Amino acid sequence: MTLTVLLPLALALLAAPAALLAGTLRTAYAAPVGTVFAALAALATLWGYLSGGGIVDIAWTPTWGLRFAVELDGLATLYALLATGIGFAVLVYSSRYVPLHLDHEARPASDAVRFYFFVLLFMGSMVGLAMAQDLILLFVFWDLTAIASYYLIGYDGHKEGSRASALMALLITGITAVLLLIGALFLYAAHGTFSIPELAGLVEPGPLLTGCGLLIAVAGLAKSAQAPFHFWLPRAMAAPTPVSAYLHSAAMVAAGVLLIGRVYPLLQQSEVLLDILLVFGVASMAVGGVLALTRNVLKQLLAYSTIAQYGFVVAMYGLGGPYGAGGAAFYVITHALAKSALFLTAGAVTEATGEDRLSKLGGLRKPLPLLAVASGAAAATLTSLPLTLGFFADEFFFAAALERGPLFAAFAVAFAATTLAYTWRFWSGVFLGGADGKAEAHSVPALLVAPVAALGGIALLGGIFTGPFESLAEAAGEVSFQAPTPLGASYRLEVLPEYLMALGAYALGVGLILSRPVWSWAALGFSRLGALAGPERLYVLTVHGLNVLSGSLHQLEIRNLRGRVTSVLLPTAVIVGAAVLATPATGAYQVGELRAEEVPLMMVLVGVAAASLATAFTRRHVTLALVFSSAGFALAVAYAFYGAPDVTLVAVLVEVVLALLYFATMKLIPYRTLRRQAAQPLLRPNRKIFVSAVAGIFAFVVVWGALSQPPAGQTVAEEYVRLTPEVHAEDVVTAILADFRGLDTLGEITVVAVVLLGVSTLLGRGITAAKAPSSADSVAGVATRAVARLLYLPTLIVAVAILVKGYTQTGDGFSAGVVAALGLMLRRLALGRGKTGGLPSARGAATIAFAGLLLALSVAAAPLFLGDAVLTHYPSPGSEPIYLGTLELITAVLFDVGIFFLVLGFSIGVVSVFAHTIADEEEYAGPQGYRKR
Amino acid sequence: MILLISLTIAIIFGAGAFLILQRNLIRIVIGVILISNAANLYIIAAGLSRGEPPIYPLPEGAQVSDPLVQAMVLTAIVISSSIAAILLALVYRLYVSHDTLDLEEISRAERRAAERLDSGESLDDRESSEGRPEREERP
Repeated sequence: MTLTVLLPLALALLAAPAALLAGTLRTAYAAPVGTVFAALAALATLWGYLSGGGIVDIAWTPTWGLRFAVELDGLATLYALLATGIGFAVLVYSSRYVPLHLDHEARPASDAVRFYFFVLLFMGSMVGLAMAQDLILLFVFWDLTAIASYYLIGYDGHKEGSRASALMALLITGITAVLLLIGALFLYAAHGTFSIPELAGLVEPGPLLTGCGLLIAVAGLAKSAQAPFHFWLPRAMAAPTPVSAYLHSAAMVAAGVLLIGRVYPLLQQSEVLLDILLVFGVASMAVGGVLALTRNVLKQLLAYSTIAQYGFVVAMYGLGGPYGAGGAAFYVITHALAKSALFLTAGAVTEATGEDRLSKLGGLRKPLPLLAVASGAAAATLTSLPLTLGFFADEFFFAAALERGPLFAAFAVAFAATTLAYTWRFWSGVFLGGADGKAEAHSVPALLVAPVAALGGIALLGGIFTGPFESLAEAAGEVSFQAPTPLGASYRLEVLPEYLMALGAYALGVGLILSRPVWSWAALGFSRLGALAGPERLYVLTVHGLNVLSGSLHQLEIRNLRGRVTSVLLPTAVIVGAAVLATPATGAYQVGELRAEEVPLMMVLVGVAAASLATAFTRRHVTLALVFSSAGFALAVAYAFYGAPDVTLVAVLVEVVLALLYFATMKLIPYRTLRRQAAQPLLRPNRKIFVSAVAGIFAFVVVWGALSQPPAGQTVAEEYVRLTPEVHAEDVVTAILADFRGLDTLGEITVVAVVLLGVSTLLGRGITAAKAPSSADSVAGVATRAVARLLYLPTLIVAVAILVKGYTQTGDGFSAGVVAALGLMLRRLALGRGKTGGLPSARGAATIAFAGLLLALSVAAAPLFLGDAVLTHYPSPGSEPIYLGTLELITAVLFDVGIFFLVLGFSIGVVSVFAHTIADEEEYAGPQGYRKR
Repeated sequence: MILLISLTIAIIFGAGAFLILQRNLIRIVIGVILISNAANLYIIAAGLSRGEPPIYPLPEGAQVSDPLVQAMVLTAIVISSSIAAILLALVYRLYVSHDTLDLEEISRAERRAAERLDSGESLDDRESSEGRPEREERP
């Protein structure tokens, strides 16, 4: 049962990576591989549906109630078949079209791989979206389609129009997608589940359902380009034609009505929501229909037609009833077949003539007869002529409208007539009339015509053999309506009201075509008005306003650097001051007793304070380094008096590395610049002293108040101390770092790795360049070298000792890493570069660092595969570890080894990047240290 | 003792703040390091117990130092030193592109560049007028 669901989904989702892989091997492989995957996914969907569908429901994040719930029901099958089937046709078409397109744009043929990747990603996410039964899972696929569409609409990224259109589509559909998420979260908060079928049984009409339903519906309406969100769709025509065809018929825009169909069991419980849908649908039919009558560019006309057509679908959902829900599904099938064919026609016509404006086209029935017939069939389907699939789509629409009342029936007839008018305008404008003064056509590759013929043929066949389409639409409608939706798509020899309405629509449509001169000025006026004061204008103004705002903030930022610091510090000071004032003063501050054994600590603290103060008033850079280092070392001693040997060790090591880096920076910057900087007088010294004194006083009050609080009774630290022996550790601090709070450590070492990347990118040539510097062999004097030679081996031994005994003694992977790095640097100093190759290159160091990070992450993630939580260490608490001599074999130590390598790589890498940069600088310097560049 | 520790932390913090307010980039970096030092000392001082190092075998009856704050400070020290490393690299980078360590001069140059960008000139001009070639020759 599960295979019937998972096989189509897996094939659809794997298509994009497969095509990408094939395309990287050889560009030409991408298209066939993608096409085959699409066909297989379509067949698998069909097979899955015919074998009865199925459900897969796996707990995804159980604590948050998220489930990976997918089901191949009627609705899912319909949209999955459209996505894969139309996708297949579009891919066949693309295999010819995309090379031509890239050729026109003078782009490399290898760009095609990107096209196939994103089209197939689109297909995969549509299939996932169709099957998703969980609102969050649905949201994930929903956003995936938005991402794919962004890259496809902006495929011609070198054109500014393309980029703006892509951004517009992403913003409109992306921002409204957040509404879907909000609606989902509200429903979860109220009912405790994200599952749509479960929610359908739980919700009750009321403000909550109306609010959430509206949020979700708006997301769907924006994606389906319903007025007033419709304006992104005509802009999206910047995409290559196959993308437009796919976007309109089976993906993106279809996703909107898919969402409405999926959550329809919820929506239909609220009359208000149905009425809102109806209003949106009717408005879109009107806006899209009228504007389609005014457009000159082929794809623009079709885009507005799509807006109107999905307006029909939304209106049908709004009308409700079995004809509404089932008919909407049927309409989606019909529209997908017809519209994709018409878009592909437009692309082929433009390919043949180099022209995309109706006013320049005409008489193409002679050079392109097959295309004319095939697209004629598609156009007839769209206009619901008898003997096509579309006839029944309109019949169900009329039926649903009739159930609601005569006013809606009249609306339905009017809009059906509009459809006829603009579809005729499209088809007759391209293929009929004389060819004089119009663009000339040359022949079109067969692969650009065959998909159109196939799609048109299916639409025609469907008008005669309605069975499969009807049953699929009925199955889909049943999912939405939660009850059977018998449609009855067959011709009957009696006068049904629907038939009369269809006849009325045809007559009215012909009337519209003939009376074009009478109303065309009004339609154009409406179009102008929309451009002047429509929603698109609002969007442009909003985006522009945001740009201006961000620009002015940026100006503020670079104009006044210190002002920015003030803008952070001042509000902080105000908040802190208010908090201090609000705290009752009695008993809040305690002087604290001074015990005899604390006298050494006190003396050290006095030293730290004095050194820090001296740092503030030191002018020369070298003195500055000495003073701040002494402050750091004194602080390390203070840590020792606090009973924190691990912290002391690390602080001393860090201080050494910092001093090294500081002097390296000094070395990189010419003495002249440093001296000039040091000699500069302090601007407004009194004000600065005042500000820092205030800062110090604030810090004092806060710290004093906080430290005066009496300790709480039970502390988590006591728990850690108690648990440490159980995790086979003796040093509590190391146990906390590697085990109890290992996640903190993971975050920390990731920061360290990123810093290594940052430093090597900032300095010189980044880690990719691994050229060894070629300056003098060793700069160290003889004595230094002798001492270094004596020290480096013991240092390395100490490093290893710190590492392996870290779990039982002072020290951990971090300090061991720094010590080892210092040892390697000593070795470099002792032996010189010539004999040993010196330090590992920056790239080598980065490799060591990231290998360490990978090891630590693997140790952290490995328990997942054993069914435990992240960062579970083995052997489990209480059980006996394996001994290797006196060494315990536990995974926490392995985690520490990862940290060791990361820190080793980091220290070596940063120092060596600095060293390489210095060597580079020296190469440019002349014999007396003059700079020559 | 509490008063004394608070005073020490306040002095370190104030010295750091004073350094951050200056125009020399290197002194700003040192100021950031001092402020991290103040924060680390504060965290250690906020430990709920003070005594022997928290390493087994624990001394009978004696109080043990709070291990949690130690672990936190270890993490904080590593991160603040990484930040110092990247700040120093940034300082060098700024020196390379602006030939100065002076925050005021760099701000002025940035402002000029932004104005030029607004008036539509290309950034390449800035590179040639303010980049390396114009750097002062040393005597």
